[in-house]
Formats: sequence, C-alpha cells, structure tokens
Amino acid sequence: MTGWLHPSSWPITVKVPLAVAALMILVGIVLSERVLAHLDESQQRHLRDLAQSYLDGLSSAAAPSILRDDVWEVFDAIERAQALNKSVNAAETIVANADDRVIAASDPRRFPTGAPVPRLVLDQTHAQPFRFDIGGDRAYAMRVLAYPGREVGTIFASFDTSHLASERRGVILTLAATNGLLTFLLAAAGWVLVARMMRPIRVLSDHLGSARESGATPIAGDVVAHSRGEFARLFGAYNELVHSIDQRHELSARLAEEEKLGSLGRLASALAHEINNPLGGIFNALATLKSHGHLESVRAGSIDLVERGLVGIRDVVRSTLALHRTDGSTRDLIPADIDDLGLLVAPEASRRSVTVSIYNGLVGGIPVPSSSVRQATLNLLLNALAAAPPGSRIDLSAHVADGGLLLEVEDRGEGLPAAAAEQLTGASTSRPLRDGSGLGLWMTRRLMDTLGATIAVERPEEGGTIVRIRVPVSRHEVLADVA
Amino acid sequence: MMGSVGATASRRLLLKQIAATTAYFMASRSYSRASTEELRFGLTPVFLTSDLELLGRLQLYLSRATGLPVTLLTRRTYQEIVALLISRQIDAAWICGYPYVMHEGELQLVAIPEWRGRPLYQSYLIIDADRQGDGLGDLRGDTHAFSDPDSNSGFLVTRAALAEMRETPERFFARTFFTYGHRNVIRAVASGLATSGSVDGYVYEVVAAIEPALTARTRIMWRSEWLGFPPIAAPRNPVDPGRLALLSKALLNMSDDEDGRAVLAMLRLDGFVTRGAELFSPIAAKAALVASAG
Repeated sequence: MTGWLHPSSWPITVKVPLAVAALMILVGIVLSERVLAHLDESQQRHLRDLAQSYLDGLSSAAAPSILRDDVWEVFDAIERAQALNKSVNAAETIVANADDRVIAASDPRRFPTGAPVPRLVLDQTHAQPFRFDIGGDRAYAMRVLAYPGREVGTIFASFDTSHLASERRGVILTLAATNGLLTFLLAAAGWVLVARMMRPIRVLSDHLGSARESGATPIAGDVVAHSRGEFARLFGAYNELVHSIDQRHELSARLAEEEKLGSLGRLASALAHEINNPLGGIFNALATLKSHGHLESVRAGSIDLVERGLVGIRDVVRSTLALHRTDGSTRDLIPADIDDLGLLVAPEASRRSVTVSIYNGLVGGIPVPSSSVRQATLNLLLNALAAAPPGSRIDLSAHVADGGLLLEVEDRGEGLPAAAAEQLTGASTSRPLRDGSGLGLWMTRRLMDTLGATIAVERPEEGGTIVRIRVPVSRHEVLADVA
Repeated sequence: MMGSVGATASRRLLLKQIAATTAYFMASRSYSRASTEELRFGLTPVFLTSDLELLGRLQLYLSRATGLPVTLLTRRTYQEIVALLISRQIDAAWICGYPYVMHEGELQLVAIPEWRGRPLYQSYLIIDADRQGDGLGDLRGDTHAFSDPDSNSGFLVTRAALAEMRETPERFFARTFFTYGHRNVIRAVASGLATSGSVDGYVYEVVAAIEPALTARTRIMWRSEWLGFPPIAAPRNPVDPGRLALLSKALLNMSDDEDGRAVLAMLRLDGFVTRGAELFSPIAAKAALVASAG
C-alpha cells in the first residue's frame, strides 16, 4: 500500500500530468504574485494621490477657519471637501487644533467639538502622512497644518477602501480561476498526449505480460501497420522474437518426439532380440520333434522347451503392453510395475554386460499414477545403463517411507554432469540442450513435476551417481494400504 | 465796487460751480455704480441664498418690473449688508427685524413679506429628533448653533429668553457658534455638530418642505411668539427716490405678475405688504431687554 504512495511507482500517465500541473501552479503563483504586486502598488499610489488632493483641498479651505477656531466653517469645509472628492470615499475626517482637540469632524456625534482626539485615531496613521495596509478596508492620512513656524492644527482622515479590497479579491479570484482552469486543461492535455504516446508501450507490455502466463503471441499485423518510427521497429523486433521462441518450442517438441521414437526403436530391437532367442530354441525343439518326436523322452523335453520359450515371449509382450498402454486410463502403482522394469531393460543390460539389481520393497497398490512413475524410472535406468561401465552393477530400489514413495537409482559410472543434474533437479529451468542430449532427464523432470515429486542427485566419493525421487503420497491412503 | 463785488460774486459762483462740478464728478466716480441707473438690492442669508435659480428669477422680475438693470448683492453676514445699507451704497436690502430696530433712525421700511397670510414669523429652538426636552431650560450645557449675531430669530429671541432667565449664552451653553445661515443651523443640529440651535421658523418650514430628509433628523422643541417678518428696508434718505419708488411698486405688485408669483412660490410667500414700524415693537423690546441685561 505504501509502495503505491511512492511517486516512482506511479504510471507515467499520472506522473506527466502531475508534473505539468505542478509547473503550471508554480508559474501561476509567480505570475499572480507579480500582478498583485503591481495592482497593490498602483492602488496605493492612486489612493495616496487622492488622499493628498483631498487633504490639500480641505487644508486650504479650512486653515483660516482653524486659526479662528470657527467650528461651523471647518465643518462646512469638511462637508464640501467630502462632496467634492467623492472618488476618495472619505469615511471620517477630523480637524483638530494644535492641542489635538476636535474643532469639527465629519461625524460630530462620534467626535464632538472640543473633545480630545481619541488615542486610537492618533495611532492609526503611525504618525505617518499616509498609511494603507494592502487589502485593508481603511486607509489613513494625516496632515499637520502649519503657519510659518507654528503648528495650528491637524487633519486626520480615514478613507473607505473596501472597494479596493474587493477589487483586489476579484483579481485574486480571477487569477486563481484562470490559473486553475489552465492548469487543469494543460494537465488533461498532458494526460491525453502521454496516454497516446504510451499506447504502443502498453500494447508491448500487455503482450509481454501475457507471454509469461500463456505463451508469447505476436502483435497483430494491423497494430504494427499503424505504428510509425521506433515503435514500428520495436513491434517488428518483438514479433521476430516471438517467432524464434515458437521455432525453439517446435524444435524441442520434435526432439522429444525423436527421442521417444529412438527409445522406442531401442526397445523394439531389444524386444525382437528377446523374442528371437526363445524363437530359436522353439524352432530347434520343433526340428527335434519332427525328427525324434516318436521318442517319449525327447518329445516331453522338446514340448517343455517350446512351452518355456512361449512363456518368455508372453512375459515380454505383456510387460511391453503394460508400459505403452495408450488407453489413457490411470491406475495405481503395483509392485509388479517395478519388476517389469527389470524385464524391459534386461536385453539392453545384457548387451552392455551390466547387471541390474532390483530391490522391490512395495507391498500392494500405491496411490500414484503408475505410468508416469514407470516411464520416469525407465528413463533413469536407461540413462544409468548408458553411463555404467561394462561389468558394473546398477541398483534400483523402491519403497515407501515418511508418507512418500522413494525410488533410488544408483550407477557406478563417471557421474552425472552438473548441467544434466541441474536439469533433472529443476535447478536449471533451461530447455533441453540444442543437440538433444539430456532430453530423457528433462522429460523425467516434467513427469515428476506433475506429481509434485522432488528429485535429488548425489555423487558419492567412490564415484557413480545416485538419483533419488520422492513422490508424495496421501498419508491417509498410505495408512489405509498399510492396514 | 459793484463791479468788483459782482466780479467777486461771479468768481465765487464760478468757483462754487467748479467745486460743485468737481464734487459731482468725484462723487459720481466714487459712487459710480450707485449713481448710474442701476438698482442695487441687498440680500441677507435670511433665506436660501444658495438657490441661484431663485436669485436669477428675482433679478429678472425686478429688472423687468422696474425697467432698470438690477444687481443683487449677497454677503456672508447681516452686518455687511446692513453696513452697505446704512452707508447708502445700495438702494434697499432684505434685512432682519433686529438690525431694523437697531438702526430705525437711519432706515425706512419698503415692504414686508406676507407668509401664510400674515407678515409674521416665529423663532424655533430645534434639537436632535431623538432628544427629550420641551424648554430652553433643558438646553443648559449644550453646544448651541446660532444663525447670526444680527438675526432676530437666529440669535436675539434666544438671547432675550436667556436674559429673562438672567443668563447669557456664554454662561448657559458650554459652547456656541454662528453658522451665518438658518439652513446651516439646521445642518449643524442634524449632523450633531450642535446639540441645539436657534433658527428662523419660516426658513425651517421651507427647508422641511424642500429637503425633508434634512429636517427629519431634527425636532422643533420650542416656538417663540409671532414676530414681525424680516422686512425690505431702505436708507431713510433714499439713494434715489425714483428707483426706490419703482422697487417698492415692483415688490408690492409681485403677486399680480406671473413671473412674480413664480418667485413668490419658490419663496413660499404670499406677497409683500406695507406696515408701520410698530410691527417690530416686540423685537425692539427684546433688543432693549438684552441691552439692559448687558
């Protein structure tokens, strides 16, 4: 959740409009500040000029009356000055004598004649001729009236500047609204632009994402055709990549098929050999029967010989059928399946003068698919046979332990190469090697993966290789079987 | 001898004539405007001097009715107009009853305006519309606005009332000032510059009709008895009797003329009448009271 808050994780379609908005806000603030500064300056100057002109008029009209302390004339002068200077919006005007006592004010009820000028009024101007706080509702001005060498009175005036304040607020609102609208429009334009520019990238990333889950598919031709420039080249390169991956997949499948056919061929020749041996004996027995069949002892011996030969052929045929059953049905593994493996590899073993020793520790059915386990174990045995030196021994053991089926194949060859071992254990996810070697191991790995089995490879000090497969079995069913 | 006497006499006559001629010319130069065929009429701030349209119409009417060019003179104070009148620099002036009784020996009455059917008016004491009180006694310690020190209604009436109370404005009021205009007294009280004021009742009523917003902020607290309306007066020794007679006739016949009625309507007056000096006896009595009180 917090990762989403971090800006670097945001999509570029968000980042660019945000950056545009941030820049626009910055520009808006700077521009607004300049406009407002100019407005404030012009308002202040304008107001100061108006106030000065108001005070000029009033002081020239009232000065003689101030000297005479003529209350009415001063009051009349104030009223006339206010009427004449309507644009300055004089709010309050007080004319005081040299002792800061009111002679007359625009509002005599608040500032009665003869009363001292309130402290507040004296402080309003901070003893400056003019004071205006930007955005305030009032401006204050003060004018000391002096006849050469003598101060005769003071005029205090305040001006209603609420119209200036509201004008300023209006300008601020206009600036904010304009800048806000511009920022929004530019950010939206940025979003649209980036979204358009990013569309080919999204096409590519969507294809790459789906490639991880369901295999790479090329980008549709019309999309590529509508692209220009670097994106057209990028799409082209991607489609070539997908094409080459597909070719590699096809090659791998063909190699697997060839390997299957190859082992089938080897099995077929072994099978023919296996059948050929008893056939030779059977034909010899038949020849003996033809010529010496009338002899009781010879006849019985020959028939026995024919029968044993036919039993041997039947066993071979039956186990081959069991291994290559193609009706798709799955059944549980039974101890005979392991014994059959010995029969299947026996011809190849005798051809290579290798002894195959089988320890079958299974009792009853084991709830794992028999065909996958047998195919995988057969692959391991054939691989061990290929690696075993003549005269050596290969050990296959099968038993149930710790709620799983354990299969162990040990040879005394030169040891499984590291790359092949990695293929087998799943440490390497690479495809079979280009020359087709290691295909049996790769297929074993895939068969065991479907069962959730683990494969371990051990290379003992004294040489050779031990491959251990552990196929998990449901504990309940194992216990049931044991019982 | 005879010849000598005759020659001397004729020389003296000649010298006299020269002197007289010189005097005439000198006099005619110094009073050049007054002695030419021009009627000079003075106006005090007794009424709405600010109304230029009214002045224009009055001037037009007088000029047409008398057949003379007319100059209207306005001054800030009664005193200035009265001074012009007594020094015979103007033919006549609309002054107040108070200066008339003070200078009765040097002045003669030409005509008296008639208001609401009588040549009489009152003085008002006005205060803020929201203020309590019903007599002069309630105004002690006020800031009081007077109209003019030579005005009957705007000063003398209140001054005399205080004298009856053995008071003076300086002691009775905290502060007084003159506004030199009855309308200004109303403005001063309405704005709060003064807490009370002495004003011409006629002017107050006219202002109330024309500018009700101004008088609405004030209240008439006290009215004086009816007194002689401010008259049109001329020097007892007229500057030019012929011109004065024309002026008198023009004033008295004003209500018979259309332009004259228009002027009277603006002034809210009925017309002009002649009355004897006894009309102003009550004012003279007040003046005497104030003079004896010191």
